[in-house]
Amino acid sequence: MVYFVNDIITGALIGLLYSLVAMGFVVIYRASKVFNFAQGELVIIGGFIVWFTTMQLGLSLWFSIPLSLVLAGLVGYAIERIFLTKLIGESVFSMVMVTVGLLILLRGLVLLLFGPAVRPFPIIFPLKPLFLGDMLIPMNLLIGGIITIVAALGLSWFFNRTRSGLRMTAVAEDHIVASSMGISVKGSIAFAWVLGAILSTIGAMIFLSGKSLTFLASDIGFAALPVALFAGLESIGGLILAGVIIGIVQSLTTNYLDPLIGGSLGSVVPYIIMLAILLIRPTGLFGWRTIERV
Amino acid sequence: MDPSGIFPTSYRADRRVVRTRWQAIALALFIGLMLAAPYLASGRIIAVMNMMMISAVIAVGLQICTGYAGQINLGQAAFMGVGAYTASILASKTGLTFLLTIPLAGLSAALFGFLFGLTAARIKGFYLALTTIAAQFIFHFAVLNLPSSWMGGSNGITVPPAEIFGFRIIGETAQFYMNFAVALIMIAGAFGIVRSRFGRAFVAVRDDDVAAGIMGINVAATKANAFLIGAFYAGVGGALWAYLIRFVGVDQFTLFNSIFFVAMIIVGGMGSIVGALIGVFVIRIIQEIIATVGPNIAESVSFLGGDIVFAGMNVILGGVIALSMIVEPKGLMHRWNILKSSYRIWPFPY
Repeated sequence: MVYFVNDIITGALIGLLYSLVAMGFVVIYRASKVFNFAQGELVIIGGFIVWFTTMQLGLSLWFSIPLSLVLAGLVGYAIERIFLTKLIGESVFSMVMVTVGLLILLRGLVLLLFGPAVRPFPIIFPLKPLFLGDMLIPMNLLIGGIITIVAALGLSWFFNRTRSGLRMTAVAEDHIVASSMGISVKGSIAFAWVLGAILSTIGAMIFLSGKSLTFLASDIGFAALPVALFAGLESIGGLILAGVIIGIVQSLTTNYLDPLIGGSLGSVVPYIIMLAILLIRPTGLFGWRTIERV
Repeated sequence: MDPSGIFPTSYRADRRVVRTRWQAIALALFIGLMLAAPYLASGRIIAVMNMMMISAVIAVGLQICTGYAGQINLGQAAFMGVGAYTASILASKTGLTFLLTIPLAGLSAALFGFLFGLTAARIKGFYLALTTIAAQFIFHFAVLNLPSSWMGGSNGITVPPAEIFGFRIIGETAQFYMNFAVALIMIAGAFGIVRSRFGRAFVAVRDDDVAAGIMGINVAATKANAFLIGAFYAGVGGALWAYLIRFVGVDQFTLFNSIFFVAMIIVGGMGSIVGALIGVFVIRIIQEIIATVGPNIAESVSFLGGDIVFAGMNVILGGVIALSMIVEPKGLMHRWNILKSSYRIWPFPY
C-alpha cells in the first residue's frame, strides 16, 4: 500500500513536470495560435545553456540560473525574429511547418555544437529525497511541482485577467483581426516565444537536475504533448489536472502493468490517452469550443 | 495553365493530363531516358536514382495527403515502415511473390493510416497532425515490444530478394527497372486521383472544410481517405525500400524521416504532383552531397562531433524547410510556373 501511494505521488509529480514543459506549448499557442513542434528542442537548448553557464563558466547557481533564463529568453526571441516574424500574415499552416523545420534544425545545431557526448548536469535541487514515513519523494520533482503550480496559476491569471494577456488571446483568435484592432501581433508572438523558451529552461532544470545531459533529453517535448492536448491547448490552469492524471496513469502502468506484459507500455500510454481524449472530447478538458463561420 | 491557343472543347479534353504535343514528347523522352539510364550512368548514380524513385512514391502520397487534402502528416515514415514490415514478413515467412507483397504492403499501411485518419471524424485542423505523431510512436512501440518472432524486435528482418519467373531481382540495374515500373504506375495513379471526384473533394476540404461540408462533401470521410491514400503510397514505397535494402529495422522509419518527406513536398511545392517529384530530386541530391562531403569535413574540422552527417543533414534540411516557407511558400513548382508563363508571353510583361 505504501508503495502504491508512493507511486501515485511520484507519478503526479512527474506529471507536473510534463505540465511545465507542456506549458511552453500552451503559452506559445495562447499568444500566437502556432503549435510549436520544436518544444523539446527548446528544453534541450535550455539544458545546454544551464550546463554552459554553470559547468563551463563556473558561475555559482545564484548567478547562473538567472543568467540562463535571460539567455534562453534571448534564444526564444532570436528564433521568433529570424523565423516567425516574417510569416505574420501568411497562413498558420506555414508557421506550424516552420516549427517542424525548427525541430530538426535545432536538433542538428545542438548536435553540431555540443556533439552526442553525455555531460553531467549541475545539481540544482538537493539530491536527497524527502522521506515521509516509508515513502520517499524526489526533491527535484517536489520543488518542480510547486514551481509548476505557481507558474500555472500565475500565467492563467495573466492570460485571463490582465489587459496584455487578453490582447494576446485576441492574437490567438485571429492575427488579421487582432492587428486591425491595433494589437501588435509581432509583440505578442515575440513575448510568447521568450516565455516559452524560459519555461522550457525551467523544465530542463527540474528534469535534468543532477542527471546527465544529452540531446536525447528532448524527447520530453513529445512526452509532454499528450498533457497539452488533454488539458486543451488553450488552458493553462487545466495543465495541472491533466499532468497529474497522465503522470499517475503512466506511473501505475509502468509499475504494475509492465512487469505483467513485459514491455514498456508506460511510455506509450500517454499517447493512447491522447488519442482517446481526442476522439471523445477533441477540445480537451478545458479547451475552447470554437464556432466556425465560412 | 495552358499556353494561349489551347482551348479544350470537351470535358474529356479538359481533364487530360498530357495536354499539348510538346508535353507528350517531353514525357516520352523522359521515360525513354529513364529506361536507358542504367546503360548511360554509373552504378553510384543508379543507386541514388533508386532511392529517389522510392522517395518519389512516398512523397507523392504525402503530397496527396498534405498538399491536396491539407492534412499535416508527420507519420509518413511510420506508414512506410508498416509497408516495409508487411512486405518483408510476407516475403520471408510465406514466400509470396513481390507482385502480391507490394500491393499487400500498401493495403496494410493504408489500413494503419486510415485508423489514424478516422480520428478526423472528431478532430479538426492540425490536432490531426498530432495523431500522426502518435502513429510514429505507436509503430515504434509495436515493433520493439511485440514478440520478436513476429516483427523481429530490435534485430530487424532480413528480406529475400524479389523473384519473377525464376529471375532474381538483385543488383542496382534490375532493381532500377522494378522501382521505375512501380513508381510509374503509382505516379500515374496519383495524377488520376487528384483530378477525380476524390481529388477535387480533397482540394475543397483543404481550402475550407466548413464550406466543403456545406457543399455536401463528407469532410471526415474525405480526410480519412486522404490518410488512406497517402499511407497506401507510403506502404508501397516501404515495400520497395525493403526489397532494395533487403533488411528492415525500426530505426529506418523515424520522425526525422517523416520530416524529410515533408521537406520534399514543401521545397517542391504544395499541391502539385510534379512539385513533389522536384522536391524529391532536390532534397535527395542535398542529402547525397551531405553524406559524401560530411565525413571529409568531420576529418578536417576536429571540434565537430562524429555525428556530423546526421547533424548537418538536420541543420540543412531544417533550414531548407524554414527558408522555403519564408521565401517561397508555394515551392519551386510555383517558380517554374512563373518562368513558364513569362517565356510564353515574352516579350510582353503580361
